Amino acid sequence: MENTVVKIQDLVKRYGDLIALDHFSLEIKEGEIFGLLGPNGSGKTTTINCLLSLLSFDKGRIEIFGKEMTPVSYDIKKDIGIIMQNVAVFDELTVYENIDYFCGLYIKDKNKRKKCIDDAVKFVGLEDFVKFYPKKLSGGLLRRLNIACGIAHKPKLIILDEPTVAVDPQSRNRILEGIQELNKNGATIIYTSHYMEEVEQICTRISIMDKGKKVAEGTKDELKRMIKNTETIIIELLELPDKAYREIASLPHVYDSKFENGKLSVYCSGGKHNLTRVLEVLQKNELGFGRVYTELPTLNDVFLEITGTALRDKED
Amino acid sequence: MFMHILKYELKSGLRSKDMLIWLILFPILLGTVFKVGFGSIYEKTEKFNSIPIAVVEESENKAFRQVIENIGSAEQPFITASFTDREKAEKLLDDGEIEGIIFSGEKLRLTVKEKGLRETMLKSFVEQYSVREKIAMDAFETAPEKAQQVIESLTAETVSSCREIPVTQGNPDVYVQYFYNLIAMVAMFGCITGMTITSHRQADLSALGARSCCSPVPKSVSVLASLASSFLLQTVCMIICVTFLAFVLKVDFGDRLWLVYPTAIFGSILGVSFGFFIGSIARVNEKVKTAILMTTTMLLCFFSGLMVGNMKAVVAEKAPWFNNINPVAVISDCFYCLNIYEDYDRYFTKLITMAVTIVIFITLGIISSRRKKYASI
Repeated sequence: MENTVVKIQDLVKRYGDLIALDHFSLEIKEGEIFGLLGPNGSGKTTTINCLLSLLSFDKGRIEIFGKEMTPVSYDIKKDIGIIMQNVAVFDELTVYENIDYFCGLYIKDKNKRKKCIDDAVKFVGLEDFVKFYPKKLSGGLLRRLNIACGIAHKPKLIILDEPTVAVDPQSRNRILEGIQELNKNGATIIYTSHYMEEVEQICTRISIMDKGKKVAEGTKDELKRMIKNTETIIIELLELPDKAYREIASLPHVYDSKFENGKLSVYCSGGKHNLTRVLEVLQKNELGFGRVYTELPTLNDVFLEITGTALRDKED
Repeated sequence: MFMHILKYELKSGLRSKDMLIWLILFPILLGTVFKVGFGSIYEKTEKFNSIPIAVVEESENKAFRQVIENIGSAEQPFITASFTDREKAEKLLDDGEIEGIIFSGEKLRLTVKEKGLRETMLKSFVEQYSVREKIAMDAFETAPEKAQQVIESLTAETVSSCREIPVTQGNPDVYVQYFYNLIAMVAMFGCITGMTITSHRQADLSALGARSCCSPVPKSVSVLASLASSFLLQTVCMIICVTFLAFVLKVDFGDRLWLVYPTAIFGSILGVSFGFFIGSIARVNEKVKTAILMTTTMLLCFFSGLMVGNMKAVVAEKAPWFNNINPVAVISDCFYCLNIYEDYDRYFTKLITMAVTIVIFITLGIISSRRKKYASI
């Protein structure tokens, strides 16, 4: 976990007057599953494209495996696997031929390549579809083929740019499990997504982006510690007199509360036994209640508190 | 690596339906339509065929018989005559097997069934002969020693005046040019294949292009392998196209068929190179590139005369240099040279022009696309 695999320093990318990346810096260590989280248009894909030397940039420096990345850095490129947001396969080649074609760009030896292809097919679970043409595959299977084409040559660094867009839940889970398995096998992963649950589920370190800037970075626990909210208590009630509401709002560690549509939400910052104290207030006021549950803070809460808007609101 | 990419590009190309439709089925169908539409127009309307007639000898006329026999023995006789009796001749005329009857007696008389160019030619022939026979008879009476000489000159002049004298040694069937134009057009369809190469190799045009740019294969290697594959596939398509036209539709390319093949192949390679060049230099998205390519190709076809018959001549008069740099004009001109000119000088000049243009297009295309980072993707 010590060697730096990717180092981005002070990256600036402009599209005319629009600043897509605003002095963006990043360092990714070997063995990490690094998540780039942000709403659409936040600069995730631009970062990846600059990283791969596909896009020109106005300022900054990018190093991969300790060397500067350029369009002709073939020695670096041979150790990178890329899975793009859009499926990149040949419609006229079968599943097996597609994987063989892309794997063959990295591995010349036929026997070694055959083993790599077999491993990739098994890894993405396309054993029964090797002779199928991409047009005959479902969206989920097509995404799996896209992944197989990107990882068959067993790269040291795998970049996945929103690989689960428009994928059914079953395939999505399989893809996420696969990414964790690739990481266990030694690959460093860069994973971009606007689905915070995915990033939270698999990433060991996360960078949250908004408007081309890094707004926060750390492990998911570190990120959650950055915000005030540690727990949200939700209680279903038929009625809540003002007196009881004020009593709850004045409890220790409660920094905010609201009662809307028969639901009381109590936002707590730190402390223990917050739920017990809230329930004691309700019992004391002889108020009956329905379901009671608590929610731990999510990355959306982190994003909300840092940027003032919810990640999901931005998607809409 | 080159062979690996070439192998899969060939596989992919051979399975492409677009290729099958535009480079194989399209010329086969359009060629068939051309053949059905005006394949026999030349035979019926333009090419001169002997006029079949019957000669009925009412009384012996040795001189006229000799003239008729001399004409009949010519390589391309003006008339094909059969000597017969009146009854049989009239039946042949009624049945449409002959176009006229010449009654040979003291005077020549002509009977025809219809009025037309060929009947007028027969009338002219009969009148000319009658005049010359009169001259001969007069000569025989006034200077008998010169009679044979007069008859010989009469015979020779009559035959030669009715022979078609071609302007060139090329194929005079102007409709063959339509098939040449069809081949030239199919050759230019290669430009779409050429542009597909750029879209598969440029990160700003397709996800495949982005993946290709991320691989450790130099762009020049992958582009050359793709070009080689396209050239091979285009060559196969052009061979199928020309073979179909020549041997199935029986389009008469004369004794220069062996040169039609390399011309078509060179033309198609030029088409691919042109598409690759336009695809590489135009820094716009794929849809705009396709629009630019199609518009450019249509304009070049227009200026080369593939759409308006005399346009190439107009360009040759106003801006002759343009015909030398217009790839479509170079291809069609190459076929034109094959069709019209007896010698090969102009043909080989055009072939060399094509080869040079191909090299320029490919070189400029590779230079403009290698080691490229894109401003936006």
